[in-house]
Amino acid sequence: MTRIVSLSRVAAPALVLALLAGCTSTNSPLIGGNNVSYGDSKGVELVTNEFGSTDLQKLAESMARSLTQVPSIRGKRMTLSEVQNKTSEYIDTAEITKSIRVQLMKSGSVRFVADVSGMNTQTQELMRQNQSGMYDKSKTKKIGKMVGADYRLEGSISSIVKKSSSLKDVYYKLSLELIDIETGEIAWADEQEIRKTSRR
Amino acid sequence: MKVKGVRLVTVMAGVLSLTGCGAMRSYHQEMQTTLTVAQQGRIDEALANVEKNNTGDDKDLLYFLEKGELLRLKGDLPQSVDSWLKADEKIRTWEEESRLTLNKAGEAVGSVLVNDKIRRYDGEDYEKVMLSTMLTLNHMQMGNTSGARTEIKKTHEREALIASLNEKEYDKVEEDAKKNKVTSTFKNLKGYPVETLDDPEVVALKNGYQSAFSHYLAGYVYESLGEKSLAAPGYRKAIELRPNIPVLEQGLKELDSRMNGKSRKGGGTDVLFVVESGFIPGRTSMTIPLPVFAGGQFIFTQIAFPVIRPSNSYLPANLSVNGKPVQLATISNLDAMARRALRDEMPGIIVRSTVRAVAKGFAQKELNDKLGVVGGLAGIAATALTEQADERSWRTLPAYISVARTTLKKGDYTVTVPTPNGPTNVTISVPDSARYLIVPLRLVGQQVVKS
Repeated sequence: MTRIVSLSRVAAPALVLALLAGCTSTNSPLIGGNNVSYGDSKGVELVTNEFGSTDLQKLAESMARSLTQVPSIRGKRMTLSEVQNKTSEYIDTAEITKSIRVQLMKSGSVRFVADVSGMNTQTQELMRQNQSGMYDKSKTKKIGKMVGADYRLEGSISSIVKKSSSLKDVYYKLSLELIDIETGEIAWADEQEIRKTSRR
Repeated sequence: MKVKGVRLVTVMAGVLSLTGCGAMRSYHQEMQTTLTVAQQGRIDEALANVEKNNTGDDKDLLYFLEKGELLRLKGDLPQSVDSWLKADEKIRTWEEESRLTLNKAGEAVGSVLVNDKIRRYDGEDYEKVMLSTMLTLNHMQMGNTSGARTEIKKTHEREALIASLNEKEYDKVEEDAKKNKVTSTFKNLKGYPVETLDDPEVVALKNGYQSAFSHYLAGYVYESLGEKSLAAPGYRKAIELRPNIPVLEQGLKELDSRMNGKSRKGGGTDVLFVVESGFIPGRTSMTIPLPVFAGGQFIFTQIAFPVIRPSNSYLPANLSVNGKPVQLATISNLDAMARRALRDEMPGIIVRSTVRAVAKGFAQKELNDKLGVVGGLAGIAATALTEQADERSWRTLPAYISVARTTLKKGDYTVTVPTPNGPTNVTISVPDSARYLIVPLRLVGQQVVKS
């Protein structure tokens, strides 16, 4: 008898919980099995000690924060130059600068113009509109109206890797500088470091 | 007597049931005909031979690897890509399993009892790296640059996984060796051709899976896609793996000037000649008697070990383009890489074999004691039948890969490639539109195949 009582005592809150959970569920259908899961894209990644997603986010965020604090760049136009990869690791440095660009754009303090890698498609598009003869002349975008950047952002990433029989230590340094295109002056420079150590 | 007979039959049946067909297969013999006809340029026959040897529904990794290369030699690139992507699927399964267990997957208990041949063939590490490298080449030939980029990215990601697994594997073998009180060096194996693994070319390699060509190709592909930050590490890694080779050093040194394009305006196409020569040497089996202490006395059991003898393939030193000599640099020596892979694998093989030798020693002693000399001999015959080293490896891979890089203007060119039978001409055409062009040339026997 006591057993039935205690069981129902447990069952009642469980039922309430289940009902509550039912109310909050979004009812999106779940397709597939249990061995795939979504994670937090900002979660700290410590799978291996090679350059990873957390490093990319960390570098981009701190660099963007540092850049927005430079008063002289407010409302100016910028372009992305190259971040040289001086490591032996396949790091897509264009992704670091692109992340910085996104964060600066979101802050609304600067504007970006076509960079070297985007120039090809930009000119092709202008040529297509103006020279193919397929477009209404009054509605084509005119050649010769592109605006130049006030500053360019460039830099490099380098690394030092040391290994012993029990440890692997990796040190990354990203340095960026902002150069005034007209005068050649360096308007801002900063560097960020990351150190990762793993046991083998 | 009847009891003894039953025992013998059980032992024999046990041994035979464990062997299955995998253990009886001699891959070396199987591929001999295929390679011979391929060398004579009879690729269709070679392909038919591969099909003949793989009649089952469940095709293994090697089938797709060999078939992909033969189809590439035939010039059927889409089919070759298709076959290699099937092989890649198998390797991806292995990768997933290895990531989960953090161990090299596919280890079977049976290999301790019978031999390594019954383990699922997961491919040598250098084969996995070469597969995505070859796929990159095929994609580039077919003009599929995004496919090539995917494969090249896969190559270096795969290399990183292999590196971390190898570290763990090494620790595990050390541990096993200590546990079983085995010395795991091949130098103690009496009669083993130690010089094949102690070759300076083999010892000089950093490891058995990183190929300078794969990284150089990565550099070239990324460069052609305008991704300088990824091209630089490709060239840099190639130099680290093969220092002091001018073509590799130029790759990195002149990257900036090439990509800024000033020196190239109207300067023609950046042509990369990739010359593959010979066939990688295969594994053969060699039986070595291992002394085993069983039941108070030493017994010699026959244990098979894999041996790779250098292929000594013909290696061309230079090309000439319209009569002008172009120096070739051999940047990947797969012949040595295969032996390096075996050298690194030997400790594991020795530990497994010694455990097997002990088990066999005990079985043999029991047979000798119970059945007398005749019965014992029958038992030995049964175990010797199953004792064969794992001979499986991707045999249609080239032994050497050499490269030459030059700038050519639009037009048709005659490329002269030296072969063992004298120089052979191949015509290539450089289109106007291409800034980058890869020309793969494969020396098969006396002929030069352009894919």
